[in-house]
Amino acid sequence: MGARRPYMRTMSKTSWFMTHARFKTYMLHEISSVFVALYMWLLIDGLFRLAKGPEAWEAWLSFIKHPLVVVISLIAFAFFVIHTMSWFKAVPQAMRIQQGEHFVDGKLIIGGHYAALGAFSLFVLILAGVA
Amino acid sequence: MQVIDADIVIVGAGGAGLRAAIAVAEADPSLHIALLSKVYPMRSHTCAAEGGAAGVVKANDSLEYHFNDTVSGGDWLTDQDAVDLFVNEITKELIQMEHWGCPWSREGSGHVAVRPFGGMKIMRTWYAADKTGFHMLHTLFQTSLKYPSIKRFDEYYTSDLIVDDGACHGCTAIEMRTGEMKLFRGKSVIVCTGGAGRIFPFTTNGAIKTGDGMAMAYRAGVPLKDMEFVQYHPTGLPGSGILLTEGCRGEGGYLLNKDNYRYLQDYDLGPATPTPVLKSMELGPRDRLSQAFWQESKKGNTVQGKWGDIVWLDMRHLGEKLINERLPLVRDLSISYVAADPVTDLVPVRPVVHYMMGGIHTDINAATPIAGLYSAGECACVSINGANRLGSNSLGELLVFGARAGRFAVEHAKTVKAPRDALVTAQAADAEGRIKALFKRSGGKQRVSQLKREMNLSLEEGCGIYRDEKSLRDTVAVIADVRARYRDVTLEDKSSVYNTDLYQTLELGAMIECAETVVHSALLRTESRGAHQRLDHVERDDVNFLKHSMAYYNPNGDPRIDYHEVVITKSQPAARVYGAAAGGQAA
Amino acid sequence: MSKRTIQLEVLRYRPEQDKEPFFQTYTVPCEEEWVVLDALNYVKDEIDRTLSFRWSCHMFVCGSCGYKIDGEPKLGCKAFLRDYGDNIRVEPLDNFPIERDLVVVIDDFVEKLQSVKPYIIAKEEKALAAGEYIQTPAQLKAFKQYSMCINCLLCYSACPQYGLTNQEFIGPAALALAHRYNMDSRDVGRSAREHVLAAHEGVWECSFVGACSVVCPKDVDPAGAIQQAKFTSAVDYLTSMVGIGGK
Repeated sequence: MGARRPYMRTMSKTSWFMTHARFKTYMLHEISSVFVALYMWLLIDGLFRLAKGPEAWEAWLSFIKHPLVVVISLIAFAFFVIHTMSWFKAVPQAMRIQQGEHFVDGKLIIGGHYAALGAFSLFVLILAGVA
Repeated sequence: MQVIDADIVIVGAGGAGLRAAIAVAEADPSLHIALLSKVYPMRSHTCAAEGGAAGVVKANDSLEYHFNDTVSGGDWLTDQDAVDLFVNEITKELIQMEHWGCPWSREGSGHVAVRPFGGMKIMRTWYAADKTGFHMLHTLFQTSLKYPSIKRFDEYYTSDLIVDDGACHGCTAIEMRTGEMKLFRGKSVIVCTGGAGRIFPFTTNGAIKTGDGMAMAYRAGVPLKDMEFVQYHPTGLPGSGILLTEGCRGEGGYLLNKDNYRYLQDYDLGPATPTPVLKSMELGPRDRLSQAFWQESKKGNTVQGKWGDIVWLDMRHLGEKLINERLPLVRDLSISYVAADPVTDLVPVRPVVHYMMGGIHTDINAATPIAGLYSAGECACVSINGANRLGSNSLGELLVFGARAGRFAVEHAKTVKAPRDALVTAQAADAEGRIKALFKRSGGKQRVSQLKREMNLSLEEGCGIYRDEKSLRDTVAVIADVRARYRDVTLEDKSSVYNTDLYQTLELGAMIECAETVVHSALLRTESRGAHQRLDHVERDDVNFLKHSMAYYNPNGDPRIDYHEVVITKSQPAARVYGAAAGGQAA
Repeated sequence: MSKRTIQLEVLRYRPEQDKEPFFQTYTVPCEEEWVVLDALNYVKDEIDRTLSFRWSCHMFVCGSCGYKIDGEPKLGCKAFLRDYGDNIRVEPLDNFPIERDLVVVIDDFVEKLQSVKPYIIAKEEKALAAGEYIQTPAQLKAFKQYSMCINCLLCYSACPQYGLTNQEFIGPAALALAHRYNMDSRDVGRSAREHVLAAHEGVWECSFVGACSVVCPKDVDPAGAIQQAKFTSAVDYLTSMVGIGGK
């Protein structure tokens, strides 16, 4: 080793993501998944209540209509949007579609995802009799 | 001092060094290889080569054509036995690169594609877009990782060769991260350290191209051959000297003067056809094109502007698709460095020092006159390049002669007897003593950067595209002065760990030694041939100068210049013909 | 050419005399056309010969001059002064030990590169006389992007996983290169590389922050390569479970 004394700068394991805007965006995406998971849990709970009978179902319906729950739902929806957008944005990197000598334009792949999301949402809304 | 024993010691891990190492490993896996480089292998300057590597592969081509193009391109200063061997072996080497994974550009059929290149009669230049050298270097480096017998010593600055009784036994090198000098003992030594373009101020060459290996061999007694032949590439970006590949013109780019006129037609290179014809116009050889620029400049036909004296490279008619596919790096560099997008704008260019035709004297087996010492790549002079190298022959050269150096070094290692230990140790101690003395030196007034600048400017002024006796004598005087003052350079950094002040100082020493061989060889060659153009001796003189200049080291003064016969086998010297009369293929 | 003066703040560390790194500021008269590397060279030539940094080609291809410039990993030769203010901060790349000043120790990367077997593993050796392998432009295109890596290590500097795992993670460039060979029509080495790629510190350590692809100066997109490698790795695992061999 001789005169060598390599110096390793430390990286905080708990606050590293505060060092760059890029990492904050990444953490936002990661955190949004918590809300996605929680809301899924709420919906699954609804299914269980439905199976239990009309009373339980009505109780659940009035619970989710509670202003506080509505506010939480709206926050969750915002995170849903963030999560969806950041995933869709990354899709072309993970899923390259080669046609001959060219790759399908990433924007087309992202657009396809949004179109599929829109179509599926519409289908659900029609099924629910809303649209 | 730590001693590291190997069978074969290779100095330099660029294209030639890596190819040599692989050749050794394949010839005899039991041999220990020490591969030294002052940079990590992937930093070597081979990576900057853009255009391609020539090798006969298509049905309309022949070895004879490649031979003739190369010999006449070199203005008959090439050794024809070497060229013959080169054109015979290169295609096999390029196929070998393909088998190792080099991503050559392809035709629709899946066969390798070839592109037109300057001075070549037929399209025969294999390419990987405009990053051929980069892909070759990384392919060689990554392939070298397969062979356990190749032990790399990355970031070791080799200072001296160990030579005893006419044979080379190793070298001394400083481990840059510790500053410790080590002795590498080997039965054969191969020097593959690249050129010395950095002796000039305006060059495509990277910072590492400082002629260390050339100078090392020179000090050890090997002559440097044909050093006066320095290639100017016609299309460098002004300011930075960044290379725009000959591929730009191969694909159909035009060179225009201030009147948007394709001036090359005035220099026996025409007629000006809209699509490229090989060996004509923009696809003439580099020496002719750079000289035409100089002539245009004298006539006042170049463009004067914020970049100085330039001409335009016009690629607009090639279209965005072709430029993106085949010249993406050119586009990136032009936009970044001169704010000109080749798709829509004219790109300013001017000639720039690119390549040393000369170098360490070797025979066709890459062997130098010192037993056990081999050399290949730009630092060597076989010579297949003569007075002017054709574009796309150098990447081929480093493969063919790198591999040969490896194989013949193996043969030599089988026969060699052990060196006299005491003498080797004493020489290593001397080398270490010189470094220690440099550290102890104090009070010197000379700065490395100042001396380098003076050497650089003087070479450009006096030993550029055109030279004459006066300009050369002036440069000789400046180099002698710089050399004398170099002895008074003091290190400002006295530390051990990664001391780049030390390495730049040693590099300057090597550059001064290379520079003096360039300028003295140029002064004595009173003729014009290829890249060596004398305003006071404008004709080629085959009676007196159809021979190689050989510069020998003289520790106490100017180098001794001697001459060596050129090997001529089947092509007698004739006029170099380009333009319509050359009969080049339409590209 | 227009002149301007910048304050270049450079992280210094000379192991023989400094206990730890510190910033040293140099006042540098610059040409507007310069890159940060030119400013560093000015310092080296005219102000302070003890400053150490790596560089060579000055044309984005040798990969020597990776530094952190104003907080972002960049090539010194591709960081144009016109894109920066008059105070520019230059540091060595993150996640590597500092040898001295801007020079970092990259031994770890070189070992990782070797570990992924970055060379063609052919089915059987083809004789040179048999000519080249046939590879269509489409087959070339499938891996070409991943062969463009210049090993400048900006991606390792940008990758938080590499730092968070204390450099255990094999990392973007090496994994992208493994993927490059896996995707090459001439290669059959995927199973030979699988134990490295599928290992704990292989592709699955990547959490797809995507920083590597953002900072890559050659548009290699290592993050994309890694996600694709995750997919093939999973497919290989599943097919091996049901007893059908992979590539």
